Amino acid sequence: MHMSDALLSPVVGGTFWTVSAGMIGLSAKKISADSDGSKTVLMGVMGAFVFAAQMINFTIPGTGSSGHIGGALLLSVLLGPRRAFITLASVLVIQALFFTDGGLLALGCNIFNMAFIPAFIAWPFIYRPIAGDGSSPARLATASIAAATLGLLAGAFSVVIQTTLSGISDLPFSIFMLFMLPIHFTIGIVEGVLTWGVLSFISKTEPALIAPVHEGRSSKSGVVTAILFVGALGIGGVLSWFASSNPDGLEWSIGKVTGKKELGSPSEASHKFLAGMQEKLAILPDYDFRNAGRTGQTATSATASPVNAGTSLSGIAGSVMVLLLAGTAGLLLRKRSTPSGKS
Amino acid sequence: MTDHFDIEALHSHAEPRPLPVGDGAAIVILALFILFVIAIPKFDIAGALAFAAFPLLLATASGIALMPILKRLVIVSPFILFMAAGNLALDRSTVLRIAGLGVTGGMISASVIMLKTVVTLVSLLSLMAVMPFHRFGKALRSLRVPEVFVTQLLLVYRYSFLLAEEASMMQKARDLRSFGGRGKGPFVTARLIGSLLIRTTARAERIYMAMSARGFHAALDSRPRVALNPGDLAAIACSAMLFALVRYFF
Repeated sequence: MHMSDALLSPVVGGTFWTVSAGMIGLSAKKISADSDGSKTVLMGVMGAFVFAAQMINFTIPGTGSSGHIGGALLLSVLLGPRRAFITLASVLVIQALFFTDGGLLALGCNIFNMAFIPAFIAWPFIYRPIAGDGSSPARLATASIAAATLGLLAGAFSVVIQTTLSGISDLPFSIFMLFMLPIHFTIGIVEGVLTWGVLSFISKTEPALIAPVHEGRSSKSGVVTAILFVGALGIGGVLSWFASSNPDGLEWSIGKVTGKKELGSPSEASHKFLAGMQEKLAILPDYDFRNAGRTGQTATSATASPVNAGTSLSGIAGSVMVLLLAGTAGLLLRKRSTPSGKS
Repeated sequence: MTDHFDIEALHSHAEPRPLPVGDGAAIVILALFILFVIAIPKFDIAGALAFAAFPLLLATASGIALMPILKRLVIVSPFILFMAAGNLALDRSTVLRIAGLGVTGGMISASVIMLKTVVTLVSLLSLMAVMPFHRFGKALRSLRVPEVFVTQLLLVYRYSFLLAEEASMMQKARDLRSFGGRGKGPFVTARLIGSLLIRTTARAERIYMAMSARGFHAALDSRPRVALNPGDLAAIACSAMLFALVRYFF
């Protein structure tokens, strides 16, 4: 379920980066106040445990395929929301840096989908009310399966929203949802069963490990923050689809004064250069081929091709030349910087 | 999903080396680079190819073993492949012809998705190959990342190798005792993971006692962080300008 850099727009990636970094900062601040070194070490080793546990595969009955535990809900139960969030975020950072799962810009989305949701949504709102003190096996099973499934479904839904808002993929929202949700529903049930299996084993052998986490009981402010974040993102995401096509106040005033929708730009060379730079560097470019606008064609025109073959091919040829130059320069630099005595 | 990837292979071929800029600045420049790559429009192959020059330069100049990186990229996330295939299937409008062969919009946008993936991931892995993880942690501190989080990252990295070995031995022991796939179901595996968890917590206690004996107090490195120096800031500004110029000309 890892989001990738290549599917994200800078605005969506940046927004989720801000949210996730903010939550890391808040959680770290709360944890720092409780300077218990043993818990710091436990968090570190539990993060490594997630990696190790993911290496142990199991056979999924009736399918012939195999799977592994994700571990997000398990960590939330064992460490409490803030410590679990920090631990899961660190696991995701290492996965991005060394295992190419996701990417640097996508880290914000991945931390939100796979650490924030299980730790701050699934655990306090689904698992804990159902599981209670964890003494009833039936409640423990129900809580594990429900929290893992709903947490994964929420994460998958978030992936669909992030991808759709980014506008890189052509997959329609409904088809993408139909593809993602059933798969993650199944994965969620398997994850829930496995989490329940581990928790019931631990409750019999080392019950102290899953004693109720006190941190969670005083985390009302964290939960409120979580709701606010989710609400803000949801509202922002949904309302952006209904943005008015009517002119805003400034455009309306310009129209009234000049009779044109927009003011023309001065024709000096510096203005042209800066306008070109602005067009190239737009954070949310049109995602249509750039030349469509220059030739006077509109992107919505049925006959308009988004690609200008001539300039595209020359552009690609130029880029390939830059690639070759970069490779050659790199090799020359390596030869120069290789210390004598080493090949 | 985490699968086996030999991190040590990545580090063994490229010797960790001092970078021309501070480690913190290198991370910021990488983030800027990725931001520029991500901002490349959906159909702009030339732009994506031009930005591929940067990781290629870094990889060739620093002598990074490209094979482990490329091997990893071959098994690139199936999610990306699915999304690229989606564009390929859904956008079939012919946008240009090369030697009589029609090129569809989907082909172009799918290629751009794959190119962006390769460019961003190779640049990330290249940086990781030349920067040891403890230096990465210090660099994060210079960028004001909370100490708790940096300590957490360093501990996870350090103990992943140890626990991975333990998990691998447990799985091998189970597989050697399994006949016809029996005992490999989720319930037996859950107990196996439970045992690993108990071993993990016991190990955490031992580690904590050993670290306490050496003066550990809740964080690995409590020295004051070193801020970015003016040279680093200038390097970041120059890099941003360079990326902007590449974006303008391609």
